[in-house]
Amino acid sequence: MIRCLAVAVVACALGGPAAAHKLVVFASTDCEMVLVEAKFSNGNAAQQGEVRVLDGQNTVLTTLALETGGTAQIALDKVDHSEGLVIEVDTGGHDNYWILTPEDIARNCGS
Amino acid sequence: MKRHMLCTTLAGCLAATPLFAHYGMIIPNDPMISQEDGRSVSLQMSFSHPFEMDGMMLETPVAFSVTREGETSDLLGDLQSATLMDEQGYTLDYPIDRPGTYIFAMEPQPYWEPAEDAFIIHYTKTYVTAFGDDEGWDTELGLKTEIVPLSKPFGLWEHNVFQGIVKMDGEPVPYAEVEVEYFNEGGDVTAPDELMITQTVKADADGVFTYAPPSDGWWGFAALNTADYTLPQDGEDKAVELGAVIWVHFEEWTGQ
Repeated sequence: MIRCLAVAVVACALGGPAAAHKLVVFASTDCEMVLVEAKFSNGNAAQQGEVRVLDGQNTVLTTLALETGGTAQIALDKVDHSEGLVIEVDTGGHDNYWILTPEDIARNCGS
Repeated sequence: MKRHMLCTTLAGCLAATPLFAHYGMIIPNDPMISQEDGRSVSLQMSFSHPFEMDGMMLETPVAFSVTREGETSDLLGDLQSATLMDEQGYTLDYPIDRPGTYIFAMEPQPYWEPAEDAFIIHYTKTYVTAFGDDEGWDTELGLKTEIVPLSKPFGLWEHNVFQGIVKMDGEPVPYAEVEVEYFNEGGDVTAPDELMITQTVKADADGVFTYAPPSDGWWGFAALNTADYTLPQDGEDKAVELGAVIWVHFEEWTGQ
């Protein structure tokens, strides 16, 4: 399911702006919080943007604003992550995503 | 075996042998790891004549490391012994947990080459980008000798030029000689003349060289200089060839 979702997200991403200043999105978890990081390919952190958190069924679980410094945090136990999470970041001019797979989560939760 | 395809006589084969260039090799399974590819990269380390697919023994390296965002980690103890091109080599599966450019570097033990009456030490490296983040692609590691890329050393189309600066002890080497060779992994490329196996270009006065490969695949660039020291062999002091080697993958052009 998470792979199907990824295809849809990729299709959206390809329709976006050119990649001269590509947005790099990454998310990780320490098993308590999900840390979202967004920066441009020149190394500068994204200063603003919307973060959308989706589950494996392509359902938006929550949205929040990107903080200055290009980060955002979500409590892992506040979202259904049983099928992984898709983290989309949209700065208005650029967007991209990261898939936090069930394996990624399990690895950092010591299981 | 493939060498024979290029030779018409035994004498020709014997005479040609010294022409083949030695290369330290670090070849990843993919120079651009996307998140869909997984969370690791697999590396193969060897010493060979790469066009000929002619392996030579790679002793346990003196050093093997990865550098990312200015931090270098020692990976020497993680290398796994393996047979590559019918000779001793090493492999490594390295977990990647964050985006960025990972630079893998190897310093081998001095290799005694009787045919050249010299030792060979090839400081070898390759750049792997992960998860869409190419920051750090132009990183200089500060090796004894190295090629510092001026072209991003991954994501190049075939026929693009690759440019780099040859450095020794951190300083550009004017007019350095750079040997270029294709990793003939499938063994299906033949050279119409032995002189075409190893291409040679020279750097300019600032140590900058340029090369455009004729095809996609892995291409090795080796800038060769003689060390300012010698090593003993059979009671004599012998010259040491220092090679700055970088492996770069060129991608197949997908346009019409």
